[in-house]
Amino acid sequence: MERQALIKELKLLAVEQRRRLIALSESYSGNIHLGGDMSMSDMLIALYHYGMNLSVENISSPDRDRFVLSKGHAAVSMYIAMSLKGFMDFEEIKRTYGQLDSAYGMHPCKVRLSSLECSSGSLGQGLSMAIGMALMARRRNHGARVFCMMGDGETCEGSVWEAAMYAGSAKLNNLIALVDRNRQMMTSYTDVPGANMNLEPYADKWRAFGWHVIVVEDGNDMEQLIDALDAMKAYEGNQPTAIIFNTVKGHGISYMERVLSWHSGSVTHEQAAVAFEELEKERMNLQ
Amino acid sequence: MSQKYGIGDMLPTRKLLGDTISELADRDERVWTLSSDCGGNMGTFIQKHADRFVDDGIAEQNAAGIAAGLALSGAVPYIMGMAPFVTMRAFEQNRSAIAYQNLPVRIVGYVAGMTTGGGSTHYAMEDIAIMGAMANMTVLSVSDPLLGAEAIRASLDAPGPCYIRCGNGKADPVIYAPGSVKLEIGKGILAREGGDVTILTHGVMVKYALSLADRLREEGIGVEVLDMFTIKPLDEDLVCASVGKTRKAVVWEDHRTEGGLATAVAELLLEKKIMPDAFERVGIPQVYPGFGSDAALYGKYRMDEASVEQLVRRMVKSGCKES
Repeated sequence: MERQALIKELKLLAVEQRRRLIALSESYSGNIHLGGDMSMSDMLIALYHYGMNLSVENISSPDRDRFVLSKGHAAVSMYIAMSLKGFMDFEEIKRTYGQLDSAYGMHPCKVRLSSLECSSGSLGQGLSMAIGMALMARRRNHGARVFCMMGDGETCEGSVWEAAMYAGSAKLNNLIALVDRNRQMMTSYTDVPGANMNLEPYADKWRAFGWHVIVVEDGNDMEQLIDALDAMKAYEGNQPTAIIFNTVKGHGISYMERVLSWHSGSVTHEQAAVAFEELEKERMNLQ
Repeated sequence: MSQKYGIGDMLPTRKLLGDTISELADRDERVWTLSSDCGGNMGTFIQKHADRFVDDGIAEQNAAGIAAGLALSGAVPYIMGMAPFVTMRAFEQNRSAIAYQNLPVRIVGYVAGMTTGGGSTHYAMEDIAIMGAMANMTVLSVSDPLLGAEAIRASLDAPGPCYIRCGNGKADPVIYAPGSVKLEIGKGILAREGGDVTILTHGVMVKYALSLADRLREEGIGVEVLDMFTIKPLDEDLVCASVGKTRKAVVWEDHRTEGGLATAVAELLLEKKIMPDAFERVGIPQVYPGFGSDAALYGKYRMDEASVEQLVRRMVKSGCKES
């Protein structure tokens, strides 16, 4: 597909992704992690519809790319991105989310939902699992890549750096770490003066652990994300790749952006109406 | 291979288990091993299967997570390491990455209990409690190096995750005539028969229990010894039949008296309404033990053979009074 047409299509999908998130939040009585769902939505769309070799057709093939959602609290946005790729039915997700015996809940459960690569949710554990998958793919010469999505706050966990150190040492160049650098944790910002936890210098940390690092200035800009995924694919070195994409938590919904309390929340009908209006405006601008 | 050995021979369990895993790997592509800088006895495996060996440095959490990822890709990974660290440091990965997903990861921990002499940082005293608390996790305890190798073989196709608890592992005695015990995951071993007292034990304590039972037998005191090789799931029939018969039970283990075999047995007996006349727990009390040889520590905490002998004699005597 011609590049501009591709970008436009992906942008429209990202709008639809956000629209579905709001629709689910409006119908669901509990909270969902809207801030981090929104911040990584563009990257999810870019991955499922462009970056990863993963489809309904090859889901059982050992050659498929793997996706590990280490920031498991954003599971709902993964389900929705997968629904937009035909893996699952959004209406079923919306109807059953968080209900007794549903396959769809706050954190991914492979036992209930076999199309996932793994269960996750306790932060800091996904990268190690992704390494196991990457080691097996390398040994069997599958040519598969393993993508592991983390939140930047999650990378405070020491186990992330155990895994990062090993992957750099083992030269796992089929492993891709994706860091949603939204600069917010649940209760604090990580980039303000006097922050409880300041993560800078961030990219240098990954470089020091032996990773090939790609920084995306605006990780909510589809063009920049596609450029980053192209650079990842073009890379021929033997290091694992970390794509650190700078985002805005709550991106796309004006009243959620950079607001700590939208880490996890539930929209009222009135808030949903505002969000739908903003998203519709964005969609019209893209047409 | 076992024909070469006899009772009393001292064998290096760690190396034996490593060689056994290597044999499994010879004929089964699924077998991997992981070690966080504890692969010193994995030489055979590394030599033959270097591309299925992962040493991730001193990082047990990462090893458990990698093992989960390998298992999700079809592997049967064996994690080899020191019991306190493969259980405690990697607790949450064992629970949420391995047990939750019911993955066939085998976690082999040696120097369990107080067998290192290294002090409380290096004693696995709560490992059965924490590993056994995880749904899906099978917990085994190895009393004899040749049975340890059998346990490794039996684990290959066992469903779900498994923790295999071993003693010091540098030089452990063969306690059963090779080939005389049929090992089965889910079952205990009726190691000695007797009608007066039941000793329920596992791992390194079994050798002392056998010695005690054999000595007391000469005096006409019948001590039944159950080697509870499988701690979870507990062999309920074996326990109930024995304690129902003798009505006197001693649970003897190199583990805290809470959360280990003693707790599991007490819960079972209560549920089955089997009320023994005497129930004694011999194990590590609520302290953080210091340095010393395992024998010296067992003496200090009255877990040694002489202390348990006194206990058994007292139990038998009081039973005579009642009758």
